[in-house]
Amino acid sequence: MSTVRVKLDVARERLDHTRAAFSRDWLTYSMLAPVLLIMGVLVWGSLLDGIWMSFHSFDFLGRREWVGLENYQYIVGWDTFWTSVRATIIFGLVTFSQLAIALVAAVAVKHARFRDYISALFVIPYTIPGLVSGTLWVFILHPDLGPILPLLVDIGLLEQTIYWGTQGDTAMAVIMFAATWAYWPLVFIILTASLDGIPEEQYETARVYGASKVQAFFHITLPQLKGAILVAVSLRTIYNLTKVSQPLQITGGGPGFDTSVLGILVYRFTEGSQRFGLAMSVGVILVLLTMLFVVPYIRSFERNADTGGMT
Amino acid sequence: MRLSIDTIGGSRSGLQLEDVVFKAAVYGVILALVLLIVIPLLVVVSVAFTPTSELFSNPSAWFPQNPTLQWWSVGFAELQEGLLHSLVISVGTALIALVITIPGAYVFGRKEFVGKQFVFYAIILSLLFPSIVLVVPITARWLQWGLYDSYIGLWIAFQIFITPFAIWILRDYFSKLPENLEEAAQVYGCTEFGAFVRVILPIAKPALIAVGFLAFLNGWNEFLFANLLTTSSGVQPAIVQLYATLHSGQGESIPWSMLMAQALIIGTPPAILYFVAQKGLRGAFGP
Repeated sequence: MSTVRVKLDVARERLDHTRAAFSRDWLTYSMLAPVLLIMGVLVWGSLLDGIWMSFHSFDFLGRREWVGLENYQYIVGWDTFWTSVRATIIFGLVTFSQLAIALVAAVAVKHARFRDYISALFVIPYTIPGLVSGTLWVFILHPDLGPILPLLVDIGLLEQTIYWGTQGDTAMAVIMFAATWAYWPLVFIILTASLDGIPEEQYETARVYGASKVQAFFHITLPQLKGAILVAVSLRTIYNLTKVSQPLQITGGGPGFDTSVLGILVYRFTEGSQRFGLAMSVGVILVLLTMLFVVPYIRSFERNADTGGMT
Repeated sequence: MRLSIDTIGGSRSGLQLEDVVFKAAVYGVILALVLLIVIPLLVVVSVAFTPTSELFSNPSAWFPQNPTLQWWSVGFAELQEGLLHSLVISVGTALIALVITIPGAYVFGRKEFVGKQFVFYAIILSLLFPSIVLVVPITARWLQWGLYDSYIGLWIAFQIFITPFAIWILRDYFSKLPENLEEAAQVYGCTEFGAFVRVILPIAKPALIAVGFLAFLNGWNEFLFANLLTTSSGVQPAIVQLYATLHSGQGESIPWSMLMAQALIIGTPPAILYFVAQKGLRGAFGP
């Protein structure tokens, strides 16, 4: 029975090895423990718990009852859910207006004087809490009391003021505008960091060969920004698909459910009514939706792993 | 060779024209964006000083005729309790974040251990979760564990946002420090842990302060968790009050001037803190 003996020896050796590694690294592991606890229990534990919750219904005392796929069946057959999915995808398109502004701004700032001050100014909207910037825009774009729409009527650009809160498409336009205003700086930060990494010699070489600024942009700047743009777009798309506080403050999800992005739907189910099971089944679908954009992000992260950093 | 230099010389005037157009475009874009940022903020500042009668009589006036400080004092008085909650929540969040993430980030930056890469990715990947999804199970748990509507509940919950960022930023900072710092300290009689506390931590101070600020900012700005995990009779932070005020009325019944003053009171500290912290975050975030 020497094979058993050999196996035992191997096992013992492995155990000793692990024990040695642990006694050598106990400090390492104990310093790591709090982080692992937070991430393991709060983040990953909550996510698994949440997925589990989506298969239950909850009574007023918070007791769970297994209902299988009933929550999912309910939301899939519910028109409002699909209105919400549509709103989420449309709202997610603000990524592109954020990218467009950030790209133009990053290139302009690179060639301007006082770059640091201008960049700092550009980042201001991003530092304001989303709920606060939402509050600001509700007033500024107020159809009767705000300064802009009545002014446009006064100078004859508009025939009458726009009650944007009462129509799905104008309400959507307003929350998309506010989101563009508030969050383009994050894309700007990522692109600026990447622009700074392009060697100046390449532009000098291009100039010597007679390339115009426009040609230099398309042949040097844009190709080298590709990685950063991919990162920014996937990161921003994930965040835009899951935005809650700013659109919630501006439209409350209305009119009807026209601007109820999925995040707001989850919020509505959680708040007050505490229909946790339904909330989580919507949440799980939201996670699946965002996962589509995580893959390109992780890929480019892997590619840039050596340089260490998100850009 | 001579020929090519001549060609460049010949096209110089053309290049100059292009340069002028380009410069004009650059500063045109910058001016447009500066206005897009500054004008709304100026409007809001102006409204916060406008008496109600003026606000409703002439909506498209840009500046108040008789500016008043009334809204700032009324708005501040109303927010006072909420601001205090916000402060306690943010400071506690920041301190706990530092205690938890500094040792962890140090280990990621300077030690080797089994499963390092996997654990690091598990942490970073969590940045990409929609946090709204985590708020549901956490609300349910907090109700169960008695953490609902308490400072401790928010302090712990907010770690979700900060831990991954802090680990990322601090890890990069720690890993860039010279390689043999700890060994040198140990030669002079420090223990392994002593070297970390007495040598590494003081050097890393700027990064630690920056991460502390970032955590504070998060605790101050976060609305969703703060709203779902607190009640108005409990530890509700100031930002939630903005939401409640706006959605409690319609049109002229909303005290707009006060609301704008309150928005500025809540929005200014994070903006200032961001600029203070920005230098320390330069390496991690950019400009």
